[in-house]
Amino acid sequence: AMASGLEPDLAALRRELSGPAALSVLIALIAVVVTFLIWRFVQGRRSSRKAVLLLGLCDAGKTLLFARLLSGRYRDTQTSITDSSATYRVSRDKSTNVTLIDLPGHESLRLQFLERFKAAARAIVFVVDSVAFQREVKDVAEFLYQVLVDGTILKNAPALLIACNKQDVTMAKSAKLIQQQLEKELNTLRVTRSAAPTSLDSSGGPAQLGKKGKDFDFSQLPMRVEFVECSARGSKGEEGDADLEGLEKWLVKVA
Amino acid sequence: LLTAPLPQERGGNNSFTHEALTLKYKLDNQFELVFVVGFQKILTLTYVDKLIDDVHKEFRDKYRNEFQQKGALGLLNGTFDFKDDFMRLLRDAEESSRVRTPTVMKTFEQSLKSQKTVKCMIETRGEKPKEKVKNKKNKGSKKEGTEAAAAPTKASGGDKQPSAAGDKEELTKDEILQKNREEFFRRHMKAGEKSRSPKPDTQKEKGKKPRVWDLGNSNAKVLDYSNSATNGSAEACPVEEFDPDMALGDKNREPGRLYDLEYESEDEAEEEKVVQNTSKPSAKKGGLGGMFGMLKGLVGSKSLTREDMDPVLEKMKDHLIAKNVAAEIAVQLCESVAKKLEGKVMGTFTTVTSTVKQALQEALVQILQPQRRVDVLRDVMDAQRHRRPYVVTFCGVNGVGKSTNLAKISFWLIENGFSVLIAACDTFRAGAVEQLRTHTRRLNALHPPESHGGRTMVQLYEKGYGKDAAGIAMEAISYARNQGFDVVLVDTAGRMQDNAPLMTALAKLIAVNAPDLVLFVGEALVGNEAVDQLVKFNKALADHSMAQTPRLIDGIVLTKFDTIDDKVGAAISMTYITSKPIVFVGTGQTYCDLRSLNAKAVVAALMKA
Repeated sequence: AMASGLEPDLAALRRELSGPAALSVLIALIAVVVTFLIWRFVQGRRSSRKAVLLLGLCDAGKTLLFARLLSGRYRDTQTSITDSSATYRVSRDKSTNVTLIDLPGHESLRLQFLERFKAAARAIVFVVDSVAFQREVKDVAEFLYQVLVDGTILKNAPALLIACNKQDVTMAKSAKLIQQQLEKELNTLRVTRSAAPTSLDSSGGPAQLGKKGKDFDFSQLPMRVEFVECSARGSKGEEGDADLEGLEKWLVKVA
Repeated sequence: LLTAPLPQERGGNNSFTHEALTLKYKLDNQFELVFVVGFQKILTLTYVDKLIDDVHKEFRDKYRNEFQQKGALGLLNGTFDFKDDFMRLLRDAEESSRVRTPTVMKTFEQSLKSQKTVKCMIETRGEKPKEKVKNKKNKGSKKEGTEAAAAPTKASGGDKQPSAAGDKEELTKDEILQKNREEFFRRHMKAGEKSRSPKPDTQKEKGKKPRVWDLGNSNAKVLDYSNSATNGSAEACPVEEFDPDMALGDKNREPGRLYDLEYESEDEAEEEKVVQNTSKPSAKKGGLGGMFGMLKGLVGSKSLTREDMDPVLEKMKDHLIAKNVAAEIAVQLCESVAKKLEGKVMGTFTTVTSTVKQALQEALVQILQPQRRVDVLRDVMDAQRHRRPYVVTFCGVNGVGKSTNLAKISFWLIENGFSVLIAACDTFRAGAVEQLRTHTRRLNALHPPESHGGRTMVQLYEKGYGKDAAGIAMEAISYARNQGFDVVLVDTAGRMQDNAPLMTALAKLIAVNAPDLVLFVGEALVGNEAVDQLVKFNKALADHSMAQTPRLIDGIVLTKFDTIDDKVGAAISMTYITSKPIVFVGTGQTYCDLRSLNAKAVVAALMKA
């Protein structure tokens, strides 16, 4: 009895749908789908690259820099093992926001987090410890090289700022010296890296950095590179403000 | 703590020792917090776990709002005034562990024994000794408790790393004195209590039921103390069906023949079936509730519990072991992933399986990405600048491909314009020196001196067979320095890791000559053996070195990679054990078959179906 009751209902439904109503239903469905796709596309474009990444070796001062930019206060920090992100109001009058993302510098973690966030990067701040630079120059250059030859980063070419941190210490190296040393080191690195044995699935060698034949120079890169000196701790110690003027000006320019 | 075990996926065990301190930690994955408690290693404190749990709960409840709403900014700007709460919790925990009143001996009436009738007393032999053991254990733990209570005075003073939540303060000297005094008094009081305890014993005597020794009845049944269920009559004993097939095992057995060593594949198949059977009934029980649970899991914020993850982790562990990862490493890896995911809130439209797989994949990539990349060419250039040769030593067990890969690496170095001296320190194996001589001749034919500015790119330094390897190595290095060679490749004899005199000889060679790079050559076919080999090699090198910081294995060369299709687990085992990178991968026997490791490709092959 139930089945027979359903049958006339189904027949009635079918009759209804076969009329012009069917066409309008179909059009309505297509319109919904298209609107949805457009909305997703626009959202993707808008939020695609609004992030500023803070990269660097361990103990370069990224997390403290992050805290200083956002809150202005000094905080005791530990080695980061995960990322932290927050929106940063670039300047009082412009009211444009960027998302500051602080990534861990630990060797096992840094590449993984870079993979996750590199597509969204509009600008990269590479924090360098100016005091330990002489000792760490090879590691700094290696990480910088890895960042620079990354496919996504070469394609998007986000602005790069090399922030020479810890300038409050007297033994800190100047930005000019750091630039020269990094250029020399990257020059050697690109030769050794391209000569390394190809990887297992032969996914092509690493991209060439800069121009062949000439010595490596930061101006050969497809992106804007600037050097700035800063100090997250500040010259007056923990109570005073940090010397972040150069960094903040650059952020205003980039946003 | 933060730089070593957590990033390297050794977080399975929740304690970590560093110098004189033990650090116990707990991860809160929902809000991404780490709670750390530090105390001196020599003390065993029983209340630490409870303390961590209490702190975790209180902190989370108190600051839940700040985490949920403000995210990172909340963390930065919020003031976490947790000190008072923490001191209170610490005091509570210490009190609870100290003031454990010595348990009064139960009077006989209270105990269960009086409630049993005589028949119940007729126990099988197995049970009585168990009870005795239990009592002994209780006494032992009581003693520990008092010792531990004396310790907390020192414990709270010893921590170096402030926890994420709050700080620990040192107890002042007065408080310590007071605590010690309390201890002293309590111990005296305990002695007084002991004199009281014999009294309940006398009561027990009265309560004992008399045994029926009446031989006058001569009732055999009463005297029969055996358990009628098992001993005694033959009918009562259940007749086991003797299955001759099962007892004899293989049906195709020829009577009287001795068979060879069989492979373990059958046992493994049985184990898998057993595991599946246990998981099936639980799946059936799910049933209707499971369907709704799945829907609930798809949409919305369900937090992961251990029970959810266990079946998935079991499957992943078996998968990893099937891909030739060493068994104990697969277990540790899964433990660490479980710890990392417990309590984490899943996003929408993600299943437990996908979350766990994702986490495991990240963990594997993390392991394969080394602490410090070994860039051989860069280091050779450095050594060139200092006008000394760069010394590389190859070690490993027998037959892994040391000499073959040495030849491949020297070819690669020559291609990059460095001159190589090969030191034949394998003075044991027949034909070792001739093998290297043939390689040298071939390489020189491929790269004649004319095309490199008149200098021979490869030369062999050998002193025949039977001599001391360390001495030959030393002479080779000084010869290279005099002649201006850029790199010295030292080939050693293969040796088993259990062979103590040979391991000593290898350690001596490395300690005396101080090479720049010690490469362990391991084949990709090795399974659980990899763990044993690497551990014993490292241990031998560490034991026999005179220096403060011993030279350990600096890198791994993974050979015979072309023989495995996608069972690439050996790479994971080796890097996990040593946390050193895989520098080269050998994929064949010609000179061009040298590759570098691509972490993502290896992990993809590992996780594939």
